[in-house]
Amino acid sequence: MKYDNYDLVVIGTGFASSFFLRKYLSKNDKKKKILVLEKGHVYPYAERLKVEKGLSSPYQKYASPWQENIVNLNSKKVWQFTTAYGGSSNCWWGCTPRFMPNDFNMKSRYGIAQDWPISYDELDPYYYEAEEIMSVSGPEDTPFPRNGKYPLPPHTFSIVDKILHKKYGNQYVSQATARASRGLTHRNSCMALSTCHTCPVNAKFTIENSGMDIYQDSRVEVVYGCAVFSLETVNDVVRKVLYVKDGQDHSIGGEVVVLGANPFFNSNILLNAGDKNPLTGKGIGEQLGMQVQIYLNDMQNVGGSSWVNANGYMLYDGEHRKDFAACLIEVNNAPYFIRVERGKQLNVASFRMVFEDLPIASNYVATTVNKLIPEVHFNERSSYALRGIDNMKNKLPEILSCLPVEKIIYQDTEPNEGHIIGGTRMSNDKNDGVVDKHLIHHQYRNLFVLGAGAFTTYGPSNPTLTLSALSLFAADKVF
Amino acid sequence: MCVIPPSLYFIAPGLKKYATLVLKKELYYLKLEPKGVERYIEDYFNATGNNMVSTLKWKVLFYKNAGWENSSHISDLIKYYLLSSDFFINKTDESKLVNYLGLFNSYKSPFPNPYSYVLYPPSEIGEPPR
Repeated sequence: MKYDNYDLVVIGTGFASSFFLRKYLSKNDKKKKILVLEKGHVYPYAERLKVEKGLSSPYQKYASPWQENIVNLNSKKVWQFTTAYGGSSNCWWGCTPRFMPNDFNMKSRYGIAQDWPISYDELDPYYYEAEEIMSVSGPEDTPFPRNGKYPLPPHTFSIVDKILHKKYGNQYVSQATARASRGLTHRNSCMALSTCHTCPVNAKFTIENSGMDIYQDSRVEVVYGCAVFSLETVNDVVRKVLYVKDGQDHSIGGEVVVLGANPFFNSNILLNAGDKNPLTGKGIGEQLGMQVQIYLNDMQNVGGSSWVNANGYMLYDGEHRKDFAACLIEVNNAPYFIRVERGKQLNVASFRMVFEDLPIASNYVATTVNKLIPEVHFNERSSYALRGIDNMKNKLPEILSCLPVEKIIYQDTEPNEGHIIGGTRMSNDKNDGVVDKHLIHHQYRNLFVLGAGAFTTYGPSNPTLTLSALSLFAADKVF
Repeated sequence: MCVIPPSLYFIAPGLKKYATLVLKKELYYLKLEPKGVERYIEDYFNATGNNMVSTLKWKVLFYKNAGWENSSHISDLIKYYLLSSDFFINKTDESKLVNYLGLFNSYKSPFPNPYSYVLYPPSEIGEPPR
């Protein structure tokens, strides 16, 4: 390290950290000393692509499967994440709808769980900013409040999408997505190849292709291979960050510390540091998904221009959320869902029904004897989410009555939606959460804990845009 | 698992031959380029593994006259053949010879998504009826 002490120490280089750092750099002078500690290494997109093509790469040694980074006590539950420069921007699938306003007010609106300490309106300007950074493609008329055009035009509809949009208006729209609908300087346009974890044509936004030069800023020093495991605190002030590099323990001082790892590791670091907040690490979870195949009579579902072409909000918001979960419909064009009957191969719409879930205390992160590896306890889905599934099965035939439906096939629920949420929830009152509305730890007032870990409730909408906007918000308001 | 009589096992054809017979039976309505079918079967089973359990499952499927409706094995075999051919590039035209182009893989081969705008541009997508 260049220095013994830094103005800002950031852990991680994923969405949360990167969007925070971008805002911080724009608001601070040229003399700031910033250290970024990244557990993984640089594993460039071009090299990941080579491996997907069956070629070898010298960077393969940096592949760090998620299964090796946590103790996953439920083998039926999958948690996808990437440990590398850019974090899970390397493996996400690029869906960026905003939350709905009532997602932030579940308690006051529906009597469920807890309200967030931040409102949609407060986050709105930062949603725009994050959408601009990601060059999101999306429609003009959205179910969530938004004015004007997205940075890129929306993806194209199939005839099925057009029929549903005609009936439901802005409750069925082209999905807002960071899979580009047009070519950009750093990205190509989406070809709907539907293997977005490593996009074959580099259409999906990642930290690597973002064009943000935050990690090249002269104020920023990035060190790779640093696995942060704890913090040293004195009188509730974080003084040092403790990490392992090259098999040795190290520490480094920081005036302000930012935890931008994923919720498993943010929780692990806090617990190792002696955080006694009863909610730290608690309520880990994500949405619950179910794939539904809709077989169509004499109608090919063709013409979409991205993996997930549209989002349906017909089962999302409303008074029903007093009783059961909201559901976001993801309409996807993945080729693996073709039919095999003669003349009907493309006569199918493939819906992913994504249900919100609630934080449950029996789903939590705990430390282990290995200070770097947390164990994840996840054994329960809320009855609230499961009732949402029942409602969906009752309502879907009527919702789809405008289509020539031959059959609806409900698959089993999926083992993951690609998200990790909870563990360090936001609250106004320190007794109800771990961090405040600016993502500052209630106890350690020079410590930010970013990311979807801070979500108070887990609405159906994909979390990445919201957690990125939260990072921009926090850095903007505090500095 | 269905028990195969040992006599039948020893005189029955190999795994790939069974799968070839199943594929041709299911896609009877298409003109399949024959060498391409052979290459597909070879590539498919090399990619998905080739062990005794698989062999027995395929023999069971053939002798039970199972179809795609009651076997995910057969459904997958058909699905990946169609995706790995020019069937969708030719917009499911049954009059055209179906050529195998290489095992479907969005990283290795330029197969368009059969649903996508690449094959069905916006100008070809109609509007909903009034």
